[in-house]
Amino acid sequence: MQTAIRISHVTKVYRAPFRRRATVALRDLNLEIAPGEVYGLLGPNGSGKSTTLKIILSLISPTRGSVTIFGRDNSVVAARREIGFLPENAYFHKFLTGAETLRFHAKLSGLPRSETRARVDELLATVGLTDARDARLSTYSKGMLQRIGLAQALIHNPKLLVLDEPTAGVDPAGSRDIQDLIASLRNRGTTVLLSSHLLTQVQEVCDRVGILHRGRLLREGPLQSLLSIENQTELVLENASPDLLDGLEQQIASTSARLIARRKAQASLEQLFLHVTESTEE
Amino acid sequence: MIASLRRIRAIAGTTLIELARLRVFYVLVLFALVLIVSSTFLARISFQQELQVTKDISLGAINFFLSLLAIVATAQLLPRDIEDRVVYSVLAKPVPRFEYILGKFLGVLGLLALSLVAMSVLCLVVLHLREQSALQEANRQVTQLAPDQLSSTLRSIQMAGINRDLIAALVLVLAKSAILAAATLCISAFATSNIFTITAMAMVYLIGHLESIAREYWLEHAAGWVTRTFLAVVAFIFPDLQAFNISDQVIGGIPIPAHLIVQLLGLTTFYVLSYILLATAIFYQREL
Repeated sequence: MQTAIRISHVTKVYRAPFRRRATVALRDLNLEIAPGEVYGLLGPNGSGKSTTLKIILSLISPTRGSVTIFGRDNSVVAARREIGFLPENAYFHKFLTGAETLRFHAKLSGLPRSETRARVDELLATVGLTDARDARLSTYSKGMLQRIGLAQALIHNPKLLVLDEPTAGVDPAGSRDIQDLIASLRNRGTTVLLSSHLLTQVQEVCDRVGILHRGRLLREGPLQSLLSIENQTELVLENASPDLLDGLEQQIASTSARLIARRKAQASLEQLFLHVTESTEE
Repeated sequence: MIASLRRIRAIAGTTLIELARLRVFYVLVLFALVLIVSSTFLARISFQQELQVTKDISLGAINFFLSLLAIVATAQLLPRDIEDRVVYSVLAKPVPRFEYILGKFLGVLGLLALSLVAMSVLCLVVLHLREQSALQEANRQVTQLAPDQLSSTLRSIQMAGINRDLIAALVLVLAKSAILAAATLCISAFATSNIFTITAMAMVYLIGHLESIAREYWLEHAAGWVTRTFLAVVAFIFPDLQAFNISDQVIGGIPIPAHLIVQLLGLTTFYVLSYILLATAIFYQREL
């Protein structure tokens, strides 16, 4: 099956003019995201998340390596027909209204004129901005800007959605709505790549995650396998009587295995993230 | 192709709205309008001179303010979009950078055309009113003038008033501003600040206006191959902006040959396209 995003051996070096030292933002990054997958890119500030997203969108070029979007080289303009992008702290033309902003982006995306009006109405309703459709963006709150940003990213019904900190500045209820929207997009087969600092949010919506640190992908894989602890096993029993559990405990005690707890604790994504990034500091 | 034109039009339209909201635009146009109106209160030596002075000041004001507007309005377009990150959401769509640059340029051109129309309409109305008033005054003096003298006076008033060459001069003012806007876009594609762009454009403006004088002087005094090559390179990179100033001929009533207008419009097309292509090439290399 054709991958949605394939990043092959991408290295990005930023060279400041008149300075000898160069900053390596990404080092030999390899990443594949399957169609319909929700992939979370995690990493502390300066880890290379934004650089990765910008390279995917062809806003900057990699120093080495290549990127393909649904099999097309990402530098080809046509590759971006499949992509919707929500930048971090989305800024748009503040003199336009919400509806005008969506119409502007519909034109840029090549959405047929006949479909634009219905799509704009539909998306304004989806992100809960129908009442604010004719208000200028200069009067929007940060959360509303983020929601109109999400709507413009979805205007042309893209197969791939790239979200940079999608819930930044959004209140908990709005944040939950965005998570639900991501889940519904996944159900409709849309591939989602999101970068976020909010680990619990990533844990809730992502199928796979990658942890970037200092330009290197330190850990990557399905969420469940990353979070599981190798030498421990969790049995989830339904309707188990105390006698059965006691019997199991006794049986375990008679072997070399050791029962740690009746309900095995699972490492949180946050613990994993901190463990992975802190271990490289040492 | 249709999708491409639709994208360019969308970017141009948004750019025009963005620029039309700038206060600098209204201040500049207002200054020009005040100058045009105030010119009618100057120099009442003769009807002909009165119309010439009105034309001179009006064309000068339109020329200066449109050039200033072309540079100031264009200089902040790309840096502002990059600083505000508006460019991310635009270029993440299937928008080639060439379309983005062209859309920005056409937005500026729209603003310049609107400003020119506003200033020209006022200039033409003022000239028309003065011309009518001068013709009426001359007719009143009919008893004091010999018939051939009267007809000569009326002809000179009409020649000093609105004519085809005045319209041509106004079109060339727009053409010159279009070149300046394209050159500004080109510099702002790699500049890191507005001040740098405006300073660089001030130099381009000066070079463009002085190069013909320098060329004449150097070719007369030192016509070696090094000088000639240097002059050719300068002439190629910087358009001869002085060539677009035909106001002296228009005011003096010297007919402007049509082929000169066509040549200058051809030159405008060449420089605008060259600068836009160069701006696109630079912008493609720019890391956003």
